[in-house]
Amino acid sequence: MPEKHDNLETAPAENPLEAHLPTRTMSINMGPSHPASHGTVRFNIELDGETIVRVDPEIGFLHRGFEKSCENVTWTQCLPYTDRLNYVSALCNNFGFLTAVEKLAGIEIPERAKYIRTIGAELHRICDHLTCTGAMGMELGGFAPFLLAIEARELVWDRTTELTGARVTTSFGRIGGVERDLPEGWVEKVKATLRKVEEFRRDIDTLLTHNRLFIDRTRDTGVMSAEDAVDFGFTGPMLRASGVDYDVRKAHPYWVYDRVDFHVPVGTRGDNFDRYYVRMQEIEQSIRIILQCFEQMEPGPTIIDDWRFVLPPKPHVYSTIEGVIGHFKLIMEGIKIPKGEVYSYTESPNGELGWYLVSDGSGRPYKVHCRAPGIQLVSGLEHMVKGSLLPDLIPTFDAINMIGGEVEQ
Amino acid sequence: MTDEKKPSGLTATQPGSAPGIDQAPTTTPPADAGPRPGGEAKMPRTAAPLVAAASPAAQQPKPGEILVRIDGIEVSVPPGTPIIEAAKAAGVDIPFYCYHQGLSIAANCRMCLVETNKAPPGKLVPSCQVPVAEGMEVRTDTPRVKEQQRAVQEFLLLHHPVDCSICDQAGECKLQDYYMEHDHQPSRLDMPKWMKNKRKDLSPSITLDQERCIMCTRCVRFMKEIAGEPSLGVFGRGTREVIDLFPGKRLESIYQGNIVDICPVGALTSRDYRFRARSYFLTATPSICTGCARGCNTFLDHFQGVPYRYRPRENMDVNQYWMCDIGRGTYHELYENRVVRARVGQGAVAPAEALRVAAEKLQGGSVALVVDPNLSLEDVLAVALVAKEGLQATEIFVAGRAVGEGDDKLLRPDRNANRRGVELVAQGFGLAVRDWNELGKTKAKRILLAGVHVPVDDEQFASWLGNAEAVVALAANETPVAKAAHVVLPLATHAEAEGTFVNFEGRAQRFLPAYPGRGDVRPGWWWATALGAELGLAWRYASAREVWLEQSKRLPPGSLDGFDWDATPKNRLRGVTPLPGGTVDGRPPGWRELIPLKIPTPAA
Repeated sequence: MPEKHDNLETAPAENPLEAHLPTRTMSINMGPSHPASHGTVRFNIELDGETIVRVDPEIGFLHRGFEKSCENVTWTQCLPYTDRLNYVSALCNNFGFLTAVEKLAGIEIPERAKYIRTIGAELHRICDHLTCTGAMGMELGGFAPFLLAIEARELVWDRTTELTGARVTTSFGRIGGVERDLPEGWVEKVKATLRKVEEFRRDIDTLLTHNRLFIDRTRDTGVMSAEDAVDFGFTGPMLRASGVDYDVRKAHPYWVYDRVDFHVPVGTRGDNFDRYYVRMQEIEQSIRIILQCFEQMEPGPTIIDDWRFVLPPKPHVYSTIEGVIGHFKLIMEGIKIPKGEVYSYTESPNGELGWYLVSDGSGRPYKVHCRAPGIQLVSGLEHMVKGSLLPDLIPTFDAINMIGGEVEQ
Repeated sequence: MTDEKKPSGLTATQPGSAPGIDQAPTTTPPADAGPRPGGEAKMPRTAAPLVAAASPAAQQPKPGEILVRIDGIEVSVPPGTPIIEAAKAAGVDIPFYCYHQGLSIAANCRMCLVETNKAPPGKLVPSCQVPVAEGMEVRTDTPRVKEQQRAVQEFLLLHHPVDCSICDQAGECKLQDYYMEHDHQPSRLDMPKWMKNKRKDLSPSITLDQERCIMCTRCVRFMKEIAGEPSLGVFGRGTREVIDLFPGKRLESIYQGNIVDICPVGALTSRDYRFRARSYFLTATPSICTGCARGCNTFLDHFQGVPYRYRPRENMDVNQYWMCDIGRGTYHELYENRVVRARVGQGAVAPAEALRVAAEKLQGGSVALVVDPNLSLEDVLAVALVAKEGLQATEIFVAGRAVGEGDDKLLRPDRNANRRGVELVAQGFGLAVRDWNELGKTKAKRILLAGVHVPVDDEQFASWLGNAEAVVALAANETPVAKAAHVVLPLATHAEAEGTFVNFEGRAQRFLPAYPGRGDVRPGWWWATALGAELGLAWRYASAREVWLEQSKRLPPGSLDGFDWDATPKNRLRGVTPLPGGTVDGRPPGWRELIPLKIPTPAA
């Protein structure tokens, strides 16, 4: 039942002839499958004319019970589930989860594995930001940026395929490192790819950043102040666009982020344009990080040599009883992670990806909780768009970059 | 028939063992007969400071006991307790291979060595053999102890064949557990492995793989001390040492199956079980053996609705750690040759139709009730109720398997699980118990068979049944008797239903359902309830527990005092490799559709 609009009812009309017509608010439904929103979510919107009075995002269309499922499988078998959180940047999730498990088990992974993880995570950060900015352009009416972004993303995914064997659902990395080294000639290919990606990025930049239509739709819409962003628990580009200089990679460096030189772009206005532009800048920084990693990396093992955590090499498994037992126990009973609990966090493209893990000392997790960055962002949506026009919802929701997979675990 | 209450021949003689070892604390979990100690998750223990970790609860020894300190944890135990048992009481697990609570102490595996303040500095002592002493402090986590365990494990695996993928023991093997816990290093063997006999038949039911053996001599000690038929020995020395039969001997004891259970590795394998299942996929449900009136406590290991073996479950009052091979083999009839569809004549019909015909045939004349004492107490209660109130029966003919030979260990001459229970029910309902032989004299032309085990030749009895006007049988197996019945109602076994058996000494023991029955299979109480409804009786029961709660009031007062139906066996085990965290509902993955038993309520 639409409510009467208070403001109009109570507004005193000095001249009855000029008084507003008494109006009622209107409830409309948007989604769950809407052409102008990427992400499967339903909005219950209450409108006064074109002004948003209330918006209630209804999530849950991609809920799969991922956290509970993890309790029924071994620690290693959780990995494919993490692919499907933010499925555009699966490597960030894979490595984030593994880092949490390793923190719980007290494992220090080899140097080369740290570099490979950094490279993989940054490659997928580029993919995620390309998807977000490209889709944002498309949903505001410009189709070309989207095609450019997706072409660039596809190039990166080709490199991901060469590294992990899969475009999207990578399941890469193992507890204790990564299971295989970089393929032959891969570094050169990635360098060439990144040059192309940078070209595409510039094209998108040219098409959107100074585009009157794009600026009009994004500048000063969906504004979030720095205090509110912190209060809502925002992280990642959304937080930095509001002017808070917080990036887990800088604040609490992990892997090799303390050894590479990169900037954290920070916005000033906290509007949709800043969110878009922070992402565009981050793509550039990610490319810098990857190139530096290639310079710094040295040959070496990519996974620790401890048969309590890592599968024995196949020649041992096929010809020695020690190898067979190690393989059998790790596969059938899982890796025994010491008893305890841990919270570990990494910077995923949308913000802080946190893992709260509890182990009872067995081969399967006792409890897995994932602090996905998206849920806080979606819950701040109403605050950002209340009182603005309905069309402002589109760029705001685009900038949130909600991925159903991670918001609805 | 002997009249003793407790199995007398089962106590191991323990030459040279520590005094007072028989009074080992009862708080200790079972050794190999029950859940594997190695299967539980073990945490790396950090060396705690001796003073800080002392538990305040055990500051003072209990009367007649002494206080010892194990890894800084104080525990009060009776004098003479081996260190390994005191450690278990303190919650400290010491690894072992050769130690077994039911056998004498050999102390030959060297896995359980620990440091104590009562031994010369730097010397380790076997914790299974050395009794605790006043003021003793034991450390199980020092680098010396850890290195000793690692070295023992490495030596044991040195010539061990690469067999896990074809070994029955994989998944419940101590070599595997302890390797991951104490060694986890690659092999350092740089020469071919020593070969031994991989298929040595010790008897028609047991095969020995000498390569897998770790020479713990549990089997040797069992055959000598428990089975009382010494026939296994240790031959050779060093790497060439093997377990073998004495010349000209074979394993002949009916208790030989236990050596397969107590073998900590896969050296001794049961022919019956060999290569049939992977033990880590099996789910173990606490059950009761129906092979004789002893009612040995067992685990029924099953997978996807098929039972694969019985293993003895520790119960010091009934069967200790053991069971006999006759009982061990009875699991076969739980799934072989089963009746799965209700039928009238030779044609399968819906259960409701079979019940209608059964009720019609049984009415209109005197009915002879024949009860197989392998039905659960709840089944017999319900059947007796319908027979007495619906069919006006006045007597029970007790059938069941024929009497055999018993021994002074576990096996009873009466090869039925619940004869005592049937007698109690008959007494409670005022039904006269009639001997099987009197069945021939009965004038009743209508016969209700609850269960189809008969003590005479099946064919002979089946032809006798041909004279009857109506034969209604609750049958689990497709025997000639079941084939001769006019109406057959498929009966659930104790693997598919829950209930109680009363053993020969009047001890009521619960068993739990392992898996749901196939087809129309239903428990006896269900058929009795449904038949009662057809006959116009008012009572309805929806579970064995309801039958027990209502009808057990009729049992003779004081007959089952102290028995709590809801106190299920404590050592439940979900899978030989249990799910540590447990699943959402406690069931292993892939079992959602099978458990719990969903039995339709009987027709109103």
